[in-house]
This record gives sequence, structure tokens and C-alpha cells, in this order.
Amino acid sequence: MSLISFIGQAWRRFIFLLRRRQMDQDLAEEMRQHAALKAQKNIAVGMDPKEAEYAAQRQLGNLTRQREESRQSWGFPFLESIAQDIHYGLRGLRKAPGFTTVAMLTLALGIGSCTAIFSIVYAVLLRPLPYKDSSRMVHVWAVTPLFPEFQMGQSAPDMNDIKTLAHSFAATTFYAPRRKILTGNGEPEQLSVAEVNSDFFAFFDVHPVQGRVLLSDDEQKKNGDVALLSYRLWQRRFSGDPSIVGRQIMLDQKPYTVAGVAPAGFAYPEKSDAWVPLVIAGEAKTLRTHWAYFLLAKLRPGVPLKSVQSELDGIAASIAQQHPKEASGIKFPLATLQESAVGKGKAELLALLVAVGFLLLIACANVSNLVLSRGLKRQREIAVRAALGASRGRIVRQLLMESLLLAFAGGLAGIALAAQGVGAFRALAPAAFPRLEELKVEPATALIACLITAFAGVLCGLAPALSTSRANLNLALKEKTATAPARRFSLRSFLVITEVAMALVLLTGSALMVQSMARLLKVDTGLRVDNVHSALLNLPRGRYASEDASRLFAQRLLDSLRAQPQFSSVALSSSTVMQGGTSLLVLERETLAALGIKAETLNLESRSVSPGFFETMGVRLVRGRFFNDRDVKGALQVIILNDSAARRLFPGQDPIGRTIKLGTEAADQFQIIGQVADTLDVSLQGRPQLQVYAPLLQSESVGQNFLNILVRASSEPSVAVASLRRAVAAVDKDLPLTKVQSMVHAVSETVAQPRFRAWLLSAFAFTGLSLTLIGIYGVISYSVGQRTQEMGIRMALGAPQASVLRLILREGVVLAVAGAACGLIGSFLLMRLLASQLYAIKPSDPLTLTGAALLMVIVALAGAYMPARRAMKVDPMIALRYE
Amino acid sequence: MVRSASKNELLPGTLEMLVLQTLTHGRRHGYGIAQRIQEISDDVLQVEEGSLYPALQRLLVKGWVKAEWGTSDNNRRARYYTLTPAGKKQLGTEAENFNRTIAAIARVMRTV
Repeated sequence: MSLISFIGQAWRRFIFLLRRRQMDQDLAEEMRQHAALKAQKNIAVGMDPKEAEYAAQRQLGNLTRQREESRQSWGFPFLESIAQDIHYGLRGLRKAPGFTTVAMLTLALGIGSCTAIFSIVYAVLLRPLPYKDSSRMVHVWAVTPLFPEFQMGQSAPDMNDIKTLAHSFAATTFYAPRRKILTGNGEPEQLSVAEVNSDFFAFFDVHPVQGRVLLSDDEQKKNGDVALLSYRLWQRRFSGDPSIVGRQIMLDQKPYTVAGVAPAGFAYPEKSDAWVPLVIAGEAKTLRTHWAYFLLAKLRPGVPLKSVQSELDGIAASIAQQHPKEASGIKFPLATLQESAVGKGKAELLALLVAVGFLLLIACANVSNLVLSRGLKRQREIAVRAALGASRGRIVRQLLMESLLLAFAGGLAGIALAAQGVGAFRALAPAAFPRLEELKVEPATALIACLITAFAGVLCGLAPALSTSRANLNLALKEKTATAPARRFSLRSFLVITEVAMALVLLTGSALMVQSMARLLKVDTGLRVDNVHSALLNLPRGRYASEDASRLFAQRLLDSLRAQPQFSSVALSSSTVMQGGTSLLVLERETLAALGIKAETLNLESRSVSPGFFETMGVRLVRGRFFNDRDVKGALQVIILNDSAARRLFPGQDPIGRTIKLGTEAADQFQIIGQVADTLDVSLQGRPQLQVYAPLLQSESVGQNFLNILVRASSEPSVAVASLRRAVAAVDKDLPLTKVQSMVHAVSETVAQPRFRAWLLSAFAFTGLSLTLIGIYGVISYSVGQRTQEMGIRMALGAPQASVLRLILREGVVLAVAGAACGLIGSFLLMRLLASQLYAIKPSDPLTLTGAALLMVIVALAGAYMPARRAMKVDPMIALRYE
Repeated sequence: MVRSASKNELLPGTLEMLVLQTLTHGRRHGYGIAQRIQEISDDVLQVEEGSLYPALQRLLVKGWVKAEWGTSDNNRRARYYTLTPAGKKQLGTEAENFNRTIAAIARVMRTV
């Protein structure tokens, strides 16, 4: 058929459709005329008029049906019958509100949670970074045997060697993340400022929206100190001032000229507020142990990561050979920018993916079960339709339409739920979670989740239609409740068992995580953190350039804090407590040999603290004394060891009064004046490290990075925080306080990631449990419905109600126990994946496994109880009347 | 669709061709079309109304015939069908196909 005639035909169909009433009338009249003509002819051959009319009608047959068939030619019969199917489908769903609600809810939960998690996984793990050629960008890290667990930046000479020796890189750049305080123009504020070399913006192909990017001239300070602002900072702090370029801003009390503004959305690394030129000067130029610069490289197109890595391994080996003292054993591991951005989030997300996959399967099983049960209930209705002449295709199509409608509605609800879930995830996820700002519901993932569930629903919706149309209609038409004995393990039972098993796996997972969390929070840290408040303070170098100035500041701050009556004790620390901060002190072989210890090196965690630190943090003194105000610069150099360090360095001896050399200079001799209990002051997990404490006011670099203020307050938290701010402002009003929080909060923040994981898994487990409850309820209800007559007979023959109840419950228990057994095996196999995320609990913890299995069986019983009660209440008279 | 043939089964699709053929010499109403086919075929081909009217609707949709109300010889209102140019063309191709098929069948019947 040519296109034109096709269009013409469609057009005529459309017109006929619009003029349907007229057409119908025409046809009816035409056929009446036809009948009259026929009758006339009959009269002409000599029939009686009445008789002639009847004969004509007989010959014509069923006029209504003929009109019906003629009508099929107009309009779009296929589309119309689909509209009809939709109409019937909606009516069917409306007539079974219980089924519809439960099925829709199940679908919404399954599709919703799956879409949310898949969207998150996609946003975090899979979506390319928003930079040109980001897939070819890599971080070149340095790892030395001194700190094997850290990935560090490069030293300047190593970086130069890599750049000259490596041939696989199309471009390189480097940066160093810093924090600087912005003053003037409102409250002082701490900014994330990246020091970057002049290739940085070309590397990312970033073009400024105002002014210019940083140039190599800027590195030589030909234009004085210049800075590029992030779009966000420009908007937030300078309200998008169009004349910002050329203005001066104060960073760390030093004037910088604004060179330009970066485009919206560009904030690499992490969330940078501004960029300033990176100048490598002085001994940093030659020092191979100053691992301070983060090297980025863009691979040449088509060069595989593996070959680049082996090239770098070769370079590392040759550097190590040439500089055995500083660089022996150095490695340059590569990580794609994507990996670096995601980091540890990966394992966590994959575990979530498995969990949510289970949830989707449970939802599928549930929907299949519901549709299957409903289909069996409707077998009679289907048989009636078939008997009245509905074709098999038509019946299948209608059932299909119902399943599709259900999937569509459930999918919509699920996507709404996913949007909520993604929002909640953003709000609740630990702040350190990577790439959160890019999170949104992915339409593609929603579609896939919908398709999976719809497929399950459709498949199960079709089963009864196919079996009925094949089966003997006669049999189906007779209410055959008593005829077909229920098979013990039908498809439905299998689905429920699967559901129970998978829900149990989720349940054990969540139970393990929750218990691990509880145990973690109960760990004895050796600290007493209640009523302790903490705040961080950055000292801008401009103002406190000299050692003496910063030491004087620390002393005045301490005095000012002590003057606040609410604080029972106050302290300063050079590194944060319970917020990730610690410094490492490496003892060399000579030092160790002097103590009679045979080892190459020994790592100590070191912390410079003011007097009052141990009192404030509630650390117990084992022997000796704490620091006091006389331990200052110029006085005897003293240190305090913790139990572990004392035992390791002076096994079986009293360390008090002994001296130890910490450093290379002859003057680096320290006397040990105290021994304190072990503490966990970085993280709740792991074992206490060897720790050494030095007096803050004696150290050479007071507040080089920042100071952690710690106060123990007897007053309300808000009052305490206010006095803390007052005390700091009394010394210097231009210093911003950051991370003002209670230590209790800080401690709980250290477990933010595992708590979040536990929270999510529990949500999944709860959903899985609810779905399983629904599933069991559905199956047992169906079976009770099928066996109503049997129950009636049993009771009529004198069976007590309790035995009927038992009979039905037993059915539920059999399913639950079978499911739980499979689930236990599954848990046993799968929980090993969680092992690395668990604390003080084994993945195969027998108590957890049995507890979860028990809970599962109880839930199953609850699901079976409601229909069982209904069976118990069956009136034998009514039940038997069906016979 | 060929429910018609109580006496003689029509080949599928032939009814439409026959209808078009009866209209080549001017307009006819439904009854007239059925009568005409019956007459010419010496009552061999009986067209049942059950298939005639659906066939007419199909022809309308395809645009091969037009329908309009008119008055018959004995002053009755009747719905007359006329052949459209497209219908005439269609009849030509169908007749040709039909003749070829019949000739082929006839050849087979003669020789085998």
C-alpha cells in the first residue's frame, strides 16, 4: 500500500470515527430497507405479508451482530479494543482494592528502593566526572614504606623526575589543598583554597566567567598575589559583583588581587572556594621527603592504565636506586580520578546494591504471588468469558493489560518514592560521602526497575489465563473447590520460600551491622567525653608569623579560657581529638638501639597538648605527673607516654625519669615525666596505638596548622559554646571558629559511615520483612479460601477449632522454616562480604543468625495467623452448602 | 469473513471484487448489489447480508466506493454506492489477478 493511500485510509477511518453515530444510523436504516425489500420480494412470489417479513428476517439473520461486524471496519478497532482492555483492567483493579493496594505498595517499595540505590550507585560510581577527557585523568600518588597505609602527594624532585621520564602522559598538573581565612567584608570565614600550578585550568579545560585564570606569570608573583574565586564564593560572599576582578580580598591577613571567577560547578579539588598560584620555594624544591604536591596526569589516548603503571614502577625503582636514603621502596600507584573521588564509598555501595537487589527480588516474588493467587481466584470468571466466546488472545491481552496497569501505577509511585529516598540519602549520608551533590533519580534506572517488576507481574498474570484457556472449561465453570487438592509445593510456595530466604539474609545483615554499631559505641576509649566541647581554630600565618607570636597567642588563649567560670578545665591540642587528626613520629634505628630495641623504625602517634589536656579528656594517670604551666620553652624538655608506648619502649621497667632522643639534633633529648592510660582518640575502631604527648607550649610549631580547643563545661551546651566564642574573641576577634561541637557528637560522627550503612540495611530489612509478611498472608489466605469446604467438613465431623487453626498455621510454619533454612545458608555464605565492615562480631555470629531466623518464623506465623483465624471461624453449614 | 457461501464458497477477497464489479455500470444499493450478483451467477453465488455490509464498510474505509442517500425507482429512500476512481483502478488490478489465477487453475485442471 502506498503511503498516500495509507494516509487517506487513516484519515477516512478517523472521519468515520468522528461521525460514528451518523454512520451507525445510516447502516441501521440501510439494513432495515434491505429487509423491507426482501420482504417485498417474498410477497411478490406469493407469501402472506406477515410471513414474508418473518422470512426476510430469518434470511437476514442477527442484524445486531451484522451491524457490530460492519462497525469493525470503521475507526481503529485494535486501539479501541486496547482502550476497552484498559477500561476493564481499571475496573478489575478497582473491584479488588485490597489486592490492588498491596500489589501497588509492593511494587512501589521494590521499584522505589531499587531506583534510588541504582541512581546513587550510578551518580557516585559510574557517571563520568564533569571534566573534559576525565576518563583519561589519573592521580599519581606516592607511597613510602615509612607510612605504608597512606597515599601521599609527591615531592617536588620526584614529581620533576616523573614528568621528564614518563612518556604516557599527554599533560600534567599539580596542586596542594590548603585552608585560608577570609577576612573583611563580613564574618571571618575559613575557605578551602587550592594552591595550583599554572597548567591546572588548561588541564581541566576550564575557562573563567570573569577575568582570567592563573598564569605562569602569577607563579613568579609578577602581578603580586592573585586569586581565582569559585563561582559559589563569588555569588555567596560577593553577591556576584561584576566588578570583582581587580579588587583585593584578604586571605590569611594578606591582600590578594582577584584575577577572575571560575565557571559554576567547577570546584576541583573537592569543594574549593578559591585557587592561588602554587610556588615551590626553598628546601621544598629539593627535599625528596616533602610529599606535599598532588600530581594529576592525563594519559595519552589509547594508552592502557596497566602499561602506564608499569612505566611508573620503573621510574620509582630508578629513583629509589639513585636516592636510597630518602626514596628507598617508594611506589607511585595510579588511580583514575573517578576512583580517587569515590574512594572507600565503592565497597559500601556494592554491598547496598546486593541488598537492594534482594529487595527487588522479594518484591517481584510478592507481586508474582499476588497476581498468581488472584488469577487462580478468577479462573471461573475467565472460564465464563471463554465460554461466551472471548478468544484466548483477547483474554490474555486483558490480563496483560491489568498487570501492565499495575506495574505502571506501581512504577509511578516507586519513582516518587525514589525521589524521596534520594533526598533522604543526601540529607542523611555522612558529609564525607563522595559526589553527593550530583545525586538525582536516574530515569533509566527507574525504567529498568519498572521493567523487571512488570515482567514478573506479567509473567505470573499470564499463567492462569493460559492454563484456563487450555483447561476444560466445564470443570472450571463448576466451582470446583473440593476437587483439586492443593499441591504441596506449588509455584506460589516456592516464591514464598524464596522471599523468606532473601528477607532473612537482609535481616541478618542488618542485625549484624546494628550490633556492630552498638558494640562500637560502647567501646571504652579511655576518654571521658561527656560535657566536653571542642572547636577548631586556624591561626593565619600573616598575623602569627613568628614562633613566639603564636606561642604567646596560645598562652593568652589558655588564660582567657580559664577565666570563664563555667569551664572546670580547658586545654589546647595541636591535632584534633576524635576527628581524624594525629601526627606520626618515626623513631629511627639509632634511637631504638639506644633503648635496646632491635627494629628498623617504630611509629608513634604524637600529639602536642597544653596543661589540662588529660584532666579535660579524663585520661587516667598511671604514674608520674601531667604537664603543668612550668613546662614551657626553655625549661627541661619533657614528654608523657601512654601504656602501650611505655611497655614497648621500656618493657618491664619504670619509664619515669628516663630520657629519650626524638629527632636528629643533639638537643632533641626528652625526659619522660608521666605515663597515662591507653586511649582511642582517633577512631573507635582498631587498637590503641603507641602514643607520645609533648607540651604544646614547649613545641616549636604552636598552631602551625590549627589548634583544637577542648573545654569541660558544667553548664548547658549552648552557654558553654557562647563562652567559648567569647573567650576566643577576647584574644583575637578576627579568628573564625570551626567545627564547634560536643565531643559526644564528634565521637558519634566517627561512626557516621557504619551507622549510615546500618540504618540503610535496616530500612531494607524492614521493607523485606513487611513484604514477606504480605506474601505469606497472601498465600495462606488463598489456601484457606480453597479449603473452606474441607474445614467445614472437618468441623462438622467434630474437629475442634484449635485443630483447624493448627492445620493452617502448620502450612505457614512449613513455608517459613523451609525459607529460613535456605536463608540461613545464604546468610552464612553472603555475610562474609560484610566482614570488613563489622566490629567485634563475627559474620557467622550464631546468636544473630538464630535470632533473625526466629524473628522470620514469628513474622511468618503472624502472616498465617489472620487467615487461619478466618478458617477457624468458618461456619460448617455455610461451607457445606457449596457442595 | 467469507461466511456467505452456503451454496458456494467464495474465494477470500472475491466478494469485494464482485461488489466493485456490480458497480461499474452505475450506482446500486446494498440489496441491489446482492440481487445482481445472485442474478448474474444464476443463483450460484448467494451473498449473505452478514458479509455484504461489513465488506461495504471496508470498501468505504479504503475509499474505493462512496455512499449517498437517494431515491429508488419506486420512490423509496435508499443508500446508493458508487465506484470511485480509486475503486475502478483497484477493480482493474483485482480482475487481472483473478483472471490469471483462474487461468492457472484451469490449466492445472486440464492437464493433470
